[in-house]
Amino acid sequence: MKSAFLFPGQGSQYEGMLYDLPEDPAVKEILKESEEILNISIDSLHTKEALSSTKAVQQCLLIASVSALKVFEKNGLIPDFVAGHSVGAFGAAVASGVISFETALKLVTKRGELMEKAYDLGYGMAVVLGLDEYKLSEIVNELFDEKEPVYVSNRNAPTQITLSGSIKGLERVIEYVKANGATSAHLLNVSTPSHCPLFQQVSEELKKELDNCELKNPKIPISSNINSRLLTTADAVKEDLAKSICYPVRWHDAVNLLYEMGAKCMIEMPPGNVLSKLAQQAFPLVQTMSVTMNGIDDCLYVMSNQ
Amino acid sequence: MVISKVEMERKSWTTRVEAKKKTIESVQGLVDGVIIPTKRIVEVLERLIKPGDRVVLEGNNQKQASFLSKSLVQVDPKKVHDLHMIISSISRPEHLDLFEYGIARKIDFSYAGPQSLRIAQMIEDGKIELGDLHTYIELYGRLFVDLIPQVALVAADKADRYGNLYTGPNTEETPTLVEATAFRDGIVIVQVNEIVDELPRVDIPSSWVDFVVVADEPYELEPLFTRDPRHITDIQILQAMMIIRGIYEKHGVKSLNHGIGFNTAAVELLLPTYGESLGLKGKICTNWVLNPHPTLIPAIESGWVESVYCFGGELGMEKYIEARRDIFFTGKDGSLRSNRTLAQLAGQYAVDLFIGSTLQMDALGNSSTVTRGRVAGYGGAPNMGHNPGGRRHATDAWYNLKTSDDPLARGKKLVVQVAETFQEANKPVFVESLDAIHVKDQAKLRVAPVMIYGEDVTHIVTEEGIAYLYKSDSMAERREMIAAIAGVTPIGMEHNPKSTEKLREKGLIAMPEDLGIRRSDAKRSLLAAKNIDELVQWSGGLYNPPARFRSW
Repeated sequence: MKSAFLFPGQGSQYEGMLYDLPEDPAVKEILKESEEILNISIDSLHTKEALSSTKAVQQCLLIASVSALKVFEKNGLIPDFVAGHSVGAFGAAVASGVISFETALKLVTKRGELMEKAYDLGYGMAVVLGLDEYKLSEIVNELFDEKEPVYVSNRNAPTQITLSGSIKGLERVIEYVKANGATSAHLLNVSTPSHCPLFQQVSEELKKELDNCELKNPKIPISSNINSRLLTTADAVKEDLAKSICYPVRWHDAVNLLYEMGAKCMIEMPPGNVLSKLAQQAFPLVQTMSVTMNGIDDCLYVMSNQ
Repeated sequence: MVISKVEMERKSWTTRVEAKKKTIESVQGLVDGVIIPTKRIVEVLERLIKPGDRVVLEGNNQKQASFLSKSLVQVDPKKVHDLHMIISSISRPEHLDLFEYGIARKIDFSYAGPQSLRIAQMIEDGKIELGDLHTYIELYGRLFVDLIPQVALVAADKADRYGNLYTGPNTEETPTLVEATAFRDGIVIVQVNEIVDELPRVDIPSSWVDFVVVADEPYELEPLFTRDPRHITDIQILQAMMIIRGIYEKHGVKSLNHGIGFNTAAVELLLPTYGESLGLKGKICTNWVLNPHPTLIPAIESGWVESVYCFGGELGMEKYIEARRDIFFTGKDGSLRSNRTLAQLAGQYAVDLFIGSTLQMDALGNSSTVTRGRVAGYGGAPNMGHNPGGRRHATDAWYNLKTSDDPLARGKKLVVQVAETFQEANKPVFVESLDAIHVKDQAKLRVAPVMIYGEDVTHIVTEEGIAYLYKSDSMAERREMIAAIAGVTPIGMEHNPKSTEKLREKGLIAMPEDLGIRRSDAKRSLLAAKNIDELVQWSGGLYNPPARFRSW
């Protein structure tokens, strides 16, 4: 049976998350390395206040997921595929051997900084449940206003889709979809309009950063964010890491592709269990686990029986 | 006058058999009689398969020649390339890996549900040359016309040392694929789970077979036709009651095929309860062309069913079938004999009715199960879900659908589409335009992948009522009939309550109350079995459900 590791993105963070990581020397090592690279104490990184910054959130997500990854690697447990949602793609790239943890941490730090300074308070994201991407795109196009732009962004599930753009525009779309078929729609606690054309500039800057890094060909195929294809070359990974921030994440398709490729066991790296829950709903025959909910020991056990 | 001797060039009429002889000689050092050693399979395939060959690979929707497909992806693309694959059901990752690795170039298939995203992507990326999407009978037919295979890679349960095959309950399409290849000097390679001295019965004789290889693990088999009654809803039960009263009883439907939806599973489970209370036993649903659905067990046990002919087997039903030999087609050994081609033909020409679920239907009754961004193909529904013009025999139900007194008037196959007006997530089933049209453009298909054409649909059943489409030739009237049972979907909103009343009076549509059905009676308590465990009990412990369906 084939397996895949999933790396969560923004939205999965929570206060004190780095205290919940597995008790393992490999985890301690990553935490120590992170402190050295960032020149900051880990304790201060995942406080409630710190996590109000996009940069800290992205750093924490990468640190948490790569820490757990190292425990699997130490035990010789390597998945057949990896995929990461948004910033999670950097963790997936580390797992696949494309970039080192250090490079990834520097890149997500930069990515977070670029995102933070790109837009002021009037921008963010929302989530709509109960409408498919075609219906939602129709509505969003219909209501589009250049002064308060809104775009359809991440396809997390066939009927769980995010919107990105100006808060006022988002509020207008939310009001409309609630009255027109959506089962639920609300603003997310996110201060950036990610995964839409408003981040074109951020994407270009990030591309420059990536051009200065050494990327190797993936050792494990990565299911991509932008077009849900399997990435097998360093250049393809670079393009996906750079562009993802200004394109929708086709997460449902990315996981669907892994399912069709034969991945019948999917394990979500910490923090949280957002991605494993999505996978469970979409593909009930897949065995889904998360390190956060199932504990590292059970996940190691299941992986060693693949 | 001297006639100069013209050297007539002698044309050979036996090129294929000669080529086959040479090809087979090329593996003589590697094989032991007809037996290919398991470990040498890749090497042997590299010699037996030539670049550009048409290769038919057994991928039923249940049984898969999985060892051979996993071996074929390991051949050296420098030696074997540009293959034209024919796979009835593209179900396994390696079926498409063949194209990623440059071993195969072109594909013709029927169904690709389990790989429908990846094949859509590969078509978009130009990684796969698409032949056509077929219904099963079309694809099998073309194996004897313009898609004649040079090589067949198929799966059987057991072989003897001469190459006789036992395919057992899961015979499915194996005989068809082998026949098209063997009798045209192609090469037939069979994976088996084991080689035995004596076969339980011979399903395919050794003279049709060139090579046998013992697989490293048994072929893959999926329990695709098992529906857990726990998931049947009250709305599906209401639909089932309408189907029994408003269609089966009304037209006297005796022979039929059911799709795999929960609504038709509900019909099967209502026969011994609701059907019995209407006194219909023996009058409807006696002869089936159907896979061995576990949900048919209570009807069989209650004496409703005379015969069942199967496309394939179903995991867990083996012992039950052997113990109900009067009902099923079985061999001398006692186990089921199935045949996908013949069952499709029987389902097309010989039954009164086909009923299946749909995800989308337009205002004219064209229906489709495709989703945007996916290329899933068809499978068997379009074969059975149409009115075959070649039919001449008149059963009561078929004749009952005659609508004119013209001396040449004919009856009609009953083709029933059943749907709830909304799918999950508020997606209306009744739509102005089918997603199939988008998929046609996305995948650059020549024909939109419509599952069943409106002109063939005789009845539509929703939770609102039944539309008797066959009764009207007028497009406008058919549209009104569909709108009247389409609920609050965009199509349904077109309907005008006054015309709905008229349609009811004329008998063109029927609401549950017109059929003597109270909506409040449609309850799960009517089901003869409410879960898998109760099916096992009905079977006297003979049905052995796969692990994933066990809840105890």
